[in-house]
Amino acid sequence: MKMKSRILILGATGYVGRSLVARLARSDWAQPVAGVRRAADFGDVPTVRCEATDATALGAALRDVDGVVSCVAGPASVMAAHAEALARALAATQAPPRLVFLSSMAVYGDAVGLVDEAWPLSGEGDYGQAKVAAENTLAGVEDAVVLRPGCIFGPKSPQWTERIARLLVARRLGDLGAMGDGCSNLVFVDDVTAAIEAALRRPRDAASRAFNLAMPDAPRWNDYFMAFGEQLGAVPVPRIPGWRMRMETRLLAPPLKVLEIVAARLGRRGGVPPPIPPSLLRLWGQDIRLDVSKATHGLGVRWTPLDEGLRRAAAV
Amino acid sequence: MILDANDVENGACVTADVCVVGAGAAGIAIALSLLDSGVDVLVLESGGLEDSRETQSLYAGTVEDPAMHSPPDRYRQRRLGGSTTIWGGRCMPFDPIDFEARDYEAFSGWPIGLAELAPFYPQANVLCEAGRFAYTAREAFPDGGRPMIAGFEGQAFSTDTLERFSCPTDFGSRYRARLSSSRTVRVMCHANVTAMKLDAAGRRIEELEVKTLPGKCFRVHARRIVLAVGGLESVRLLLNSPGASGRGLGNGHDVVGRYYMCHLAGTIGTLVFRDGVAVNHGYELSPDGVYCRRRFALREPAQQALRAGNFVARLHHPRMTDPAHRTGILSLLYLARFMIPYEYGKRLHGGEPIRLRSAVAHLRNVLADAGGIVAFLWHWFRDRTLAARKFPSVIIHPRRPRYSLDFHAEQEPNPQSRVTLGAERDPLGLRRLHVDWRYSSQDVHTVQASLAALADDIRASGAGSFQFEQDEVEREMLRYGAYGGHHIGTVRMGTDPRTSVVDTDCRVHEVDNLYVAGSAVFPTSSQANPTLTIVALALRLASHLRAVTVDRAGNTAESPVQKGA
Repeated sequence: MKMKSRILILGATGYVGRSLVARLARSDWAQPVAGVRRAADFGDVPTVRCEATDATALGAALRDVDGVVSCVAGPASVMAAHAEALARALAATQAPPRLVFLSSMAVYGDAVGLVDEAWPLSGEGDYGQAKVAAENTLAGVEDAVVLRPGCIFGPKSPQWTERIARLLVARRLGDLGAMGDGCSNLVFVDDVTAAIEAALRRPRDAASRAFNLAMPDAPRWNDYFMAFGEQLGAVPVPRIPGWRMRMETRLLAPPLKVLEIVAARLGRRGGVPPPIPPSLLRLWGQDIRLDVSKATHGLGVRWTPLDEGLRRAAAV
Repeated sequence: MILDANDVENGACVTADVCVVGAGAAGIAIALSLLDSGVDVLVLESGGLEDSRETQSLYAGTVEDPAMHSPPDRYRQRRLGGSTTIWGGRCMPFDPIDFEARDYEAFSGWPIGLAELAPFYPQANVLCEAGRFAYTAREAFPDGGRPMIAGFEGQAFSTDTLERFSCPTDFGSRYRARLSSSRTVRVMCHANVTAMKLDAAGRRIEELEVKTLPGKCFRVHARRIVLAVGGLESVRLLLNSPGASGRGLGNGHDVVGRYYMCHLAGTIGTLVFRDGVAVNHGYELSPDGVYCRRRFALREPAQQALRAGNFVARLHHPRMTDPAHRTGILSLLYLARFMIPYEYGKRLHGGEPIRLRSAVAHLRNVLADAGGIVAFLWHWFRDRTLAARKFPSVIIHPRRPRYSLDFHAEQEPNPQSRVTLGAERDPLGLRRLHVDWRYSSQDVHTVQASLAALADDIRASGAGSFQFEQDEVEREMLRYGAYGGHHIGTVRMGTDPRTSVVDTDCRVHEVDNLYVAGSAVFPTSSQANPTLTIVALALRLASHLRAVTVDRAGNTAESPVQKGA
């Protein structure tokens, strides 16, 4: 019987990390190993405890694996430290495994229009700049694939499904007019994990290192909010005027953010209404459209359309 | 990107694959449709981002009979977004019968059918922000919505069709960011086309002359040119250039400016419903958040049987001017009418002087109905002033089940109803317009026959009665003259150059690279407000332009025109 490839997933407790662990566990070729900071239950899947910012610990975890996927999220300082630690650990490893690094479309900053992988990386805000820094840090890793997903939605996606649903049901979100005119660049979570799987298995190709991930012809944010709102039964989906959004971002968001942090520390995450920070509103109006032809052809991703993605997200 | 023509050097030549003249509903729809298509688009807009009195005055002109037609600079806006900056937002598609040649409507019939436009209506609906393309109550509402009149099932009239309302969307502000961020569409403000010059063979526009009010003058060379300047200004631009015939561009057969239609509209009669009959004459929000309203629509077989044009009617509040309605808010609106914009006030209060006796009676209404006024003002503040999707119009729920009827009907094409050039010239040297709008006996028949059929339907349904004076129809239909803002038919579409100006692709018969977008090309007017169909037809034209400009490899290689400004 053929041995399965051992794939280490760093940031395995995160949304994409958990989905990937489950996907690989179902596969006939991979044995996932969940890299976790604290003890976590992954059933039959083996776990390895390591601090993502600790090069020595990462180096130990990298022993005997055939591939490593980094889905580490967190504050900008953590992401930067993780990239540096990972680069050092890989450099110190004999015959380093294939790295798949989950970056983000945030590396394109405030770009608009159709953006392919050759677009200059500028990063906007702490998150975007941290992702750019991480990509630059890992640029020296020879056998690496960088994936730049748009907004990942799917069952229990905290950012782009659950948060949006709460805002829609509370009628704090709806059709935003010009403020929601940006392309959503939504990508269904299973398509991201499929792309990671393809990136792990594809032949080494230094010329083709980075891939954008988003459904082709992704809806504008307004269309997403409208379709999701109707599916949730939050109808009639309201048109939100500009003054309401300005109030959300300027007056409501700061105290809600503080409450959110306090609630998280008290272990009551989810009890506080989600804030709508100015950065989120900027994103909804930013008409950047990821060119995903490279991932379509190079990784063979079959994109889940919006309707099906919403249906599957709601089925949970 | 958005540019300013005043930044272009005098005498310069700006080039493009497609030059769209006018950034209103049609021009912006074409530009948006060609974003990222590989087609290099230049949009020339006379106005800027804001209203400007000096620019607006370029629209001034004369009318044959001021009682029959508004001054030409009213109901039109010369700025980014065009007249969508002031429109009311009512959307509905044309009906199949509108495209048919009908022997009782002279010069009726389109050279294309509804099927040619149907693929573009849903996207037009999206651009107008009127939600889903669902124009029957059954399609728009999961439960079919509330009936307009409980138990009404008319033989001649249906109440199942809807009008849907745009926000109303100002295309200029709504789509400015998309246009600004485009790499292939340039919108140039303050650019007035003053001449369209033909090549030696007289078949192609070789050059556009463009001027700005501060005095810049430059040229535009484009492979294809689209006039998207509205039903009146299209005539002015065409006739101000001599063309091959010397009678105006595209005007070799003296058709440009003729067949000018607006709509026939008015408020008439009294509808009284039996006690206990549920009447729903206001708006309902569809699941996608759009205000929808049912109306009486004359069925197509009834139109044919009555030999009448297309016709719709809505339940309306009693005439505002008459204090006998005893409704506080109507009296308040009447007394505060100076605050209502001209374009909306004209049909609300008629502009008649307020007499003292009448003012006292209105004031009495206001005082007696203070609670109703407060409730209305709160509703208006919340649902109109603060709302981004505006409550579309004043809806009054009368204390007694009495209404008047607000009708909107098709006007018959008439070659004697026309727009020509007047003697005066504007500051840029273009002759101004002269409008001579006329109606026909068929128009009066359309309204009379339709109203009579409605009275029959109401009576037969047992819901109540509708009474009106047949002799009053013509006077009421003309009380405020032609319906403002709907400028239709002046550059009509057809297959015969002797009776039409543009072909089925909206291309001027006489000129190989000149197109016209907008209601100017509609051969007939329908009952429908024109904006949605203007946008649908503009999207169809954009599709054609894309097909003829971009080759299969995605190149625009045929161009002898250099790219860039």
